[in-house]
This record gives sequence, structure tokens and C-alpha cells, in this order.
Amino acid sequence: MRTRVMHRSLTVAAQKALPSRDCQGAVAVAIAFLLFAPMLHAADDMVLKAMRDELQRSMTLQFNALEKPYYLEYVMEDGHRIQVSAVLDGIVTVDNSDFRIPRVRIRIGSPQFDNTNYVGSRTSYSGRYGATFPLDDDYPVLRRTFWLATDQAYKSALEAISRKHAALKNVSISEELPDFSTAKQAQMVLDWKRVKLDPQPWIPGIKALSSVFLRFPELRGSTVEISEVDGTRRLVTSEGGELRLPEQESELKIQTAAQSKDGMTVRDSVVFNCLGFDGLPSDAALKRAAEELATTVTAMAAAPRAEDYTGPVIFEARAASQLLAELLGHNLALSRKPVSEPGGSGGSAASELEGRIGSRILPESFSMVDDPTLKVWKGQPLFGTMLVDEDGIEAKPLTIVEKGVLKNFLLTRQPVRGFPTTNARARLQGGYGDSVAGITNLIVESSETVKAAELKARLIEMLKQRDKPFGMMVRKMDFPSSASGAEVRRLINGAARSGGSRPVSLPLRVYRIYQDGREEMVRGLRFRALNVRSLKDIVAAGNDSNVFNYLENGQLFALMGAGSETAETSVVAPSLLIDDLELVRVEDEQPKLPIVPAPELSSALSLNQ
Amino acid sequence: MKRLVSTLILVGSGLLSAPPSPLLDTLATELDRNFRVLKEKADPPAYFISYEVTDLDTHSIAATLGDISSHNDSHSRYLDVGLRVGSPKLDNYHLIGGAAPQFSAAVAIPIEGGTAAVKQLAWIETDRAYRSAAERLIKIKTSQQVKVAALDKSDDFSPAPVASHVEPITHPPFASDLWTARMRSVSAVFRDHPKILSSSASISAQTDERYFVNSEGTRLQHGRGFSRVIISVSTRAEDGMNLGNSVIYDAVDASNLPTEAVMKADAEKLAKEVEALLVAPVAEPYVGPAIFSGKASGVFFHEIFGHRIEGHRQKNESEGQTFTKSVGEQVLPTFLSVVFDPTVKQIAGIDLNGFFEYDDEGVAAQPVIAVDKGILKSFLMSRTPIEGFGASNGHGRRTPGYEVVSRQSNLIVKSDKTVPEAQLREMLIAEARRQNKPYGLLFQDITSGQTTTQRAGMQAFKVVPVIVYRIYADGRPDELIRGADMVGTPLASFNKILATSDRTEVFNGYCGAESGWVPVAVVSPAILVSEIEIEKMEKSQNRPPILPPPPMGTGGGQ
Repeated sequence: MRTRVMHRSLTVAAQKALPSRDCQGAVAVAIAFLLFAPMLHAADDMVLKAMRDELQRSMTLQFNALEKPYYLEYVMEDGHRIQVSAVLDGIVTVDNSDFRIPRVRIRIGSPQFDNTNYVGSRTSYSGRYGATFPLDDDYPVLRRTFWLATDQAYKSALEAISRKHAALKNVSISEELPDFSTAKQAQMVLDWKRVKLDPQPWIPGIKALSSVFLRFPELRGSTVEISEVDGTRRLVTSEGGELRLPEQESELKIQTAAQSKDGMTVRDSVVFNCLGFDGLPSDAALKRAAEELATTVTAMAAAPRAEDYTGPVIFEARAASQLLAELLGHNLALSRKPVSEPGGSGGSAASELEGRIGSRILPESFSMVDDPTLKVWKGQPLFGTMLVDEDGIEAKPLTIVEKGVLKNFLLTRQPVRGFPTTNARARLQGGYGDSVAGITNLIVESSETVKAAELKARLIEMLKQRDKPFGMMVRKMDFPSSASGAEVRRLINGAARSGGSRPVSLPLRVYRIYQDGREEMVRGLRFRALNVRSLKDIVAAGNDSNVFNYLENGQLFALMGAGSETAETSVVAPSLLIDDLELVRVEDEQPKLPIVPAPELSSALSLNQ
Repeated sequence: MKRLVSTLILVGSGLLSAPPSPLLDTLATELDRNFRVLKEKADPPAYFISYEVTDLDTHSIAATLGDISSHNDSHSRYLDVGLRVGSPKLDNYHLIGGAAPQFSAAVAIPIEGGTAAVKQLAWIETDRAYRSAAERLIKIKTSQQVKVAALDKSDDFSPAPVASHVEPITHPPFASDLWTARMRSVSAVFRDHPKILSSSASISAQTDERYFVNSEGTRLQHGRGFSRVIISVSTRAEDGMNLGNSVIYDAVDASNLPTEAVMKADAEKLAKEVEALLVAPVAEPYVGPAIFSGKASGVFFHEIFGHRIEGHRQKNESEGQTFTKSVGEQVLPTFLSVVFDPTVKQIAGIDLNGFFEYDDEGVAAQPVIAVDKGILKSFLMSRTPIEGFGASNGHGRRTPGYEVVSRQSNLIVKSDKTVPEAQLREMLIAEARRQNKPYGLLFQDITSGQTTTQRAGMQAFKVVPVIVYRIYADGRPDELIRGADMVGTPLASFNKILATSDRTEVFNGYCGAESGWVPVAVVSPAILVSEIEIEKMEKSQNRPPILPPPPMGTGGGQ
């Protein structure tokens, strides 16, 4: 997990120098990556020592005769982040910052009953003092800031546990579960090679990439953004857990939008995520991606508006992996409703899969494994690789679905009904002092596949049988979504009006497949009532597979820039043909076209200042 | 000699942009193109458009206890589009029910290159602003028909002269290494003061450039620097009261900030003062005479007086309008005059935060005599007219992303009844005796204040004094107290000013209101008032830390 740094919409990043010849900075970047700073060894890590010493002392905290801490955890995320963004050959942002984000989690009382899982429980320390955390590895000052942070966290915990006791006098809960399960925490102090990141070498490449859009006059707005983070996460707990794990990653994002003749805004984006700093595509590949994006969005604006549709839909492997990430990421994690005053609310929506262990949720040919130990899938790097989870527990491969039957949920140290212990899938912080579980690398496979092209033939066959003029194919979903906040609100309202459950993101690239095999792009559709149950209607799977790497943030549609933290995640899935899906028109008030014609862009000269 | 030095810095920095910059031309061209079409083809037509670009190039470093806690360099440019449909008599900015309109959005534009991007973003923003302007005008017209006529029948937009001024803008180099070392060293002073829970020393040095074009032909390019060092401490008393104080230095150019030795000495003094506050007696509710130091009375005038003569408040019917009908009447003692003068750069060698050449509506900054020998003469005006004041005096200001309203600049209090500070103190003691009070109060330091000018709120002000002494009438030594909150109502306070000192002090600050944060300054002598009321400060329920602090060890950071 990574806490989102700064106010910018993007998170992380890293990568290979936007390559060479046409990019002056490339050589400098390549050299910079070779000049690693000396390795930092555990014994002389002053940060770990300060955390360890202050944590030990803080276990003696007690105010009057009130509850004492039984578990204390310090996390320190630190690193260096750079970001460069550009619009149409103009550099908008050049950012270069160091950060250090501390977190204190304290549990007082006992594992059976503590200060967490109450609506008023603080997620972690954040307070008046210690807000200025030193970036230097200065032992006494680090101890002092942890001292103040722990004091604040302890006082909040005292307040939370007393209010939780009071709330429980007035409500009875159906089943009493402990608040914290036992687990063996890892001790893993890895060497961390500090990499010298520099935004400057990126400038020419990002500028050049943004200038691709100058050639597409129909587009209304575009941005290109790179970010890289070189960081490390340190964790020290009162159970002896001790970690120092490097966190290095890169993200390159290209976004654009256009307006159709009827006023509808269409948009799409391409995002590349990778661990480390050399996994992004080459210069030429990025340029092709930008051109493909620009061409597609231009075509989307010109495409006809679709009508409502019910019937079979093909999800190409990319769209299928996005769909599974969205449906399963949320539903494979079980959550508890936090204790609240009578009539109080809180907690996330219950999983659609709750209580369905041992039931079939996919066709019998399907299996699903969540494997944090995998680094590569068929030559493609995976993004969700993770040694130890947020709770400090070593993570191992986990069978989620076997022969279509649900075998396991993703769990943290917060016990849930039927699952008293963790399987080390804590990935984000929850709202009530606990972690939230999430996918790492989810590999979805089918033992019965057809050639990807065969799926289309199967679809056409179904159309003929049912005498339908055309079927549908989705090439890409809007997940993580690049929608604006206003658009997201309209989608939620639209879904609520049509009686749907939690809405899924929009299908961005949608095509009609006619009986003669012809494809026609359409726009303005959303899925209605598409949920985990729809997966039982998978008719066929392709023999292809797509690696989908993204940043999960626990928000609806994993909305880009939303949420306060992110978890690197991968989903691998084949193309899917699913029957009986409903696509309906997005009914939205469309703004009028601008009265003033668009400015001439291609003739624009650089400002040179 | 001084002039020579600054000239050298100007040339030596070598970053002069040759005026006018291509950005100004791009903005002007794109504005003309958009305006022509929206004026001729749109319904309702646009009658005015302005583009303002704010370029902020900021370097900041913060340190705590000798260690660097943040280091940030950022450079951004924002475009704000102003667009009016209807006519100056009635347009989309007309107030209905006191609700402030919002059309500006401060969209980020390239800081380098990107003529095409500037054009496209300006076009998109103009379209967006036009749509919401047209929509609001329709609402206003509907509302006009059903609501009673407003009391103030002035227009919505006043004419202003076309201005043309392009000056080179320098970005002085920021001495990053020097300031890193200096902030470490200043913040390390607090390592020897373990009772202070939180402390920091930080610098922020910014170049603020403004590019402005409008459909009337105004073309401006100007800018200035803002550098500021803040040394601040906070802690908590045994009874849970939060205590804190800060020292702030401002200068246009960071190289003119005080020396490290001065800052360290002030940091030490700050620490000692807050440690003294920890053991100081808690203020008791009190009504009686008091002296405000020059800085403290500056805050007093800014809050109580300055905000109430901002022009737009006189026509907003949800405002209290304390002075709306008082032009020509006495509002302050006859020995006091108040001038707002944005054209003054420096007083007594101190750079003033409220200096600017043109406001955010492209109007040249002008000195405004608000009060002359106690008589109210004028208000601070943007291009939003009010009854009796039909023109801007160059006080329309904002932070990018907000709509312009009239705001303060450099508030200068002038007095004809001055006495030396020692005598002012004697007068305080005499006044205390006359009122049969055991002591008078001396407000030495005030960190901030706030005031409510809205009709719905209580017409009052509150300032947060930090360093307050009891000055005993019986000759006992002065006594520091903590937790005094000053409360009062504006009109009553002004009539109680008895005299002022003969020495003025400068208070530089940033003022937050509906158009965002704007830099301001107040220049004022110390004042003696016959009556002020203080109440006990609300205190937090939290206690000081439970465990003692971990050992601090010796030595500084790195």
C-alpha cells in the first residue's frame, strides 16, 4: 500500500527513460540509474532503531487505571517522488518532493475487545503535534515525533474504547467476534538501494508525447503525466514484527476527451504501471499508444449513440480483466459492520459473495488463484507482487476458486464470521482502525478455452439462433475511471434510479458485432445489474490472457486520484463471452457545443520562455 | 548605496524576460477571437471578457529541531477567465440574495512552451464561463421580477481606464543551500527547550507574476516577490490550554530577510516567552483600559475597521453594513486618519505585503483616504460600483480560482495625538486608577484575528492575543498572563481610543476572505483604549503527553 503523496491526482511511477535518440535526457537518466547510493543496512538504520526504542517505551503507556496498549505498530513510509505533466507541448507541472509519512496504530484493551471496529475509531494517528516529521535520520528527533504521535493515538484510543463500551450498552450484536486475531509477523529487513530520481530528463519526452495530440483537432483537452516514486516502508510492532521493504514504482498516464456533435463528452485514458523504474514501454510504444488513444477517442466522438441492448457480450481479455478486478476486488473481501450508537450507520456494503463459500460462482472450468509471489505472467511483469501484507504477515498463494467453486476469501487480522484468522491480504487501511483486504495478483484461468477469434463466431451463432441483428463486444472498461466527480455522481444516481446494485464502471470502447462479422463502434452505454452473479453466465473463455496492472484505492470505479492510499494490483484473465447482459443508454443532459470554434493548434509556435 | 545594491541584484539574476512575453500576446489573441464571436453570435451576448494568468514560482523549506522536514520547489500557472453577459447595468455578477457568483476556475496552464495548450485551455474555459454566466443571467432576470428592488441601485460593473504596462519580471535565484542550513540552525534552538512540544522554522520565497488582458484593450504584465520566514512554537499547559506563538519576517526578496543571528535570538526569545506562558496565571474576565502595541493595533484596525469598508459589502444585503450610510460622518476619533495605500513599497526599511501596481481587474492601484481626521470619506473599490462610488480605486483582489472583490492593501493609521511610549504607559496607569481597576492590560503580540461582517452573524470581532501583560496601578512589576481572548463590537471600540504612541510598527500578513488569501500590511502606532473586554479562552480537554519526553541527546541535526 502507498499513501497518496501531495495533492496531485496521480500516484507513483518509475520507469525506463523515455528512450533515446529523439530524447536528450535519456542518457542522463540511464546514468543516474546506475549510480545507486550505498546500500542501507539494518544495523545502522537509525529510523528502525528510533521506532523500535520508542515503541518499546510506549507499551508502558497508561492513564490513570484505564486500558493499556496490548498492540502497537509504527509504520514509516518514506521516499522521493517526481512528477512531470504536459499539455500539447507545454510543461504544466514539474514536481520533485521528499516525503516521510508516519503511522501509529494502537490497540488497547484486549484482542477480544479493543478500541477498533467502532464508528469513532481513528484509522491511525493524525494530529496537532508531530505534523512536521523530520526527513533526516535523526534518532532523538524521530523518537520525539513518535512519542507525540503515540500519545495522541493513545488518547484517541481511550476515547474510542469508552464510547464503544457505552454504545454496546444500548445495542446487542448478533454474534460476538474478537477484534484481533493472532498471527505470526515477519521480520524482513531488505537492503534498499536509494535511486536518484530527477524530473528534468523526463521533460523533453513528456513534452514530445503531449504534442502527439496537436495533430488531432477534434479532441478537447489532453494530458500526459509521468510519476516515479522511490521509497521504502518500515514497520515495527510490539509483537516483534520488523520490516524494511523497498517500494519503487512508476506510472505513466495519458488522457484525452472529445465532444460529439450531440454534445456528449467522450473520453479515455491509457495508464502504464510498473514496479521499479524500467518497466514502462519504450518511447516508440508510448507514442503509438498516444496516437491510438487519440484516434480512438476521435472515432468515439463520431460514433453513433447506441440503443438499449440485452443479450450476449464479448469482453476482450483487457476488458474482462478490468471487469473481474472491479467485481471481485470488492466482493472477495469481507467486512464487519462497526459498532455504532443505536441507529448509527457505518461500514462498507456487504460482499455479494458473503455466505457463498463452497458454492459455485463461476462455470466449472474456471479456477482463480491470488498469488503475491508471482513476478511475471507469460513474460509480462505483474504489479501486485508483495512479500508481506499491511499487517506485517508473509503472504502466500491462495486458491480462491476451484472448479468454479468459491474456496477462500481475502482476509486480514480482523476476524469475520466464519473466518477467525488472516490469510495475509491486508492491503489498504480501513475506516475503523483495521486494514482492508484486497487482491494481489489474481490469476483467472479456464480449462476449456477456444481461440479468441472463435468467441466472435460463437457470438454470431447465438445472434442467428435468436434472430438478433447484432451483438456487443467491449474492448475496454473505464476502470480505474478517469471520470470527473460530477460524472461519477450522475452515474451513481442513474444506477440508483434504474434499481441496480453497486454500479460497475462504464464500458468505454463498445462495438456492435453484426451477423456478417462487421464491427461498429458505438457510445453512450452503461451496464445495468451487472454483478458477481453475472459471472455464472459466462458461456466461453478465450485461450488468450491479459495482464491488467492498476492501482486499487478502494473507491467506486477505483476513480483515479480518489482515496488517500493505493495498492498495486494485477488481474490476469482471458477473453470472455457472457450471456444475458443488459446495456442501457446513459441518459444525461448534454452540454451544447461551443459557440466559438476551436482554436487552430497545429500552427502554434512554441512560446520559448 | 542601498539602491545600487538592489539594481545589481536585478541585473545579476540574469533572468529578465524581454517584455512583452509571448504569453501576453497569445492571451490577447485568443481573448479577441473568443470575444468577437461571443459578442456577435451568442445569445445573450458577452460584453466583457478578461483573462488573468497568475504565475507562482515558489521555493519552500521547513525544519524542525535541526532537521529538514520538507523541501519543495513548485512552479505553476493558472488562468482565470472573467466573462460578463447582459450589460454593465445588469449582468451575471448581480447579487441575488447575497449569494456570491463563481465563474472563475484557475485552470492550470503550461509554465513553459505550449502556445497551443494555452489557446485550447483558454477556449475551453471561456466556453465554460460563458455557459454559467448566461445561465446565471437568466436566473437573475427571473428573480428581478419577483423580488423587491434592492436598496443599492448601482450598476454591476463600472468603467475603468484602459491600462497598458509591461515590465520585465525577475525570478531571483533561491539560495537553497544557504536557507537549508539556516532553517536547520534556527530550528535547532528548540532542541534545548523540551517543554515546547512542537516547533518549526520555515521559509517560503515566491515570485508572483500576473498577466492580464481584457476586451477593453488592457494589457498588463507585472509581478513582485514575497519571502517569508515563520518561526513557530506550540505546546500545552498542564491544564490542557494550548499555547503557541510565532515570529514572522517578510521581505520582497529573501536576501533582505534578517540575518541568522537575529532569527536565532528571536527564536530563543520566543521559546522563553512560551515557557513563561506555561507557568503564567490564567486571565480573568476583565473590562478596563488597555494598550495595544503597534502590531496588535494593526490587527485591531484590519479586523474591526478595514473589513467593514470593503466596498462590495455596502451593497450586499446580507452584510451588516456598519458604515454604509456613514460617509461624511465621524467614525473614528478626530485625531485619527486611515489611508489604504498599495503604492507604498516600504516603510522604515520594511517591505510592505500590501504593495501592488495593478489589481486583479487590471486597474492601477491607488491610495485611498478612507478616514480623514475621523470622518469617513471613501470605501475600497473594485469594479463593482456602489451607490455614490462609481469607480474602482484599484482594490479588486483575489487568489487564483476566486472571484475578485474589494480587499485591503496597506492600511496606514495616522495620528495627530501622539505621545512617547513611556507616557502612553503612564496614561494607562492613570486611566486604570480613574476607573478603579487594579491593573490595565498591555497587548504585546496578537497572532491573528477574525471578524464577522455578515448580518446573520453577530457583528463582532475576535482577536487572539498571545503576549498580554497586566500593568499594575500600584507599581508592582508587570505580569504575563495567558488565555485572554479579546471580544467586542466594532463601533463601540473606536470611540474608546484615547491616544496613540509616536512610533509606528508594521504588521505584514495574509488576509483570508471570500476572494481567497491576499497579502496585506498594516502600519499603526500603539493605541490606548479606555475600555476593552476579555474573556477566558476556551481550552482543550486534552492533557499534556502522559510519558515524559525521550532523551534528546546532544548535537544538532545533520
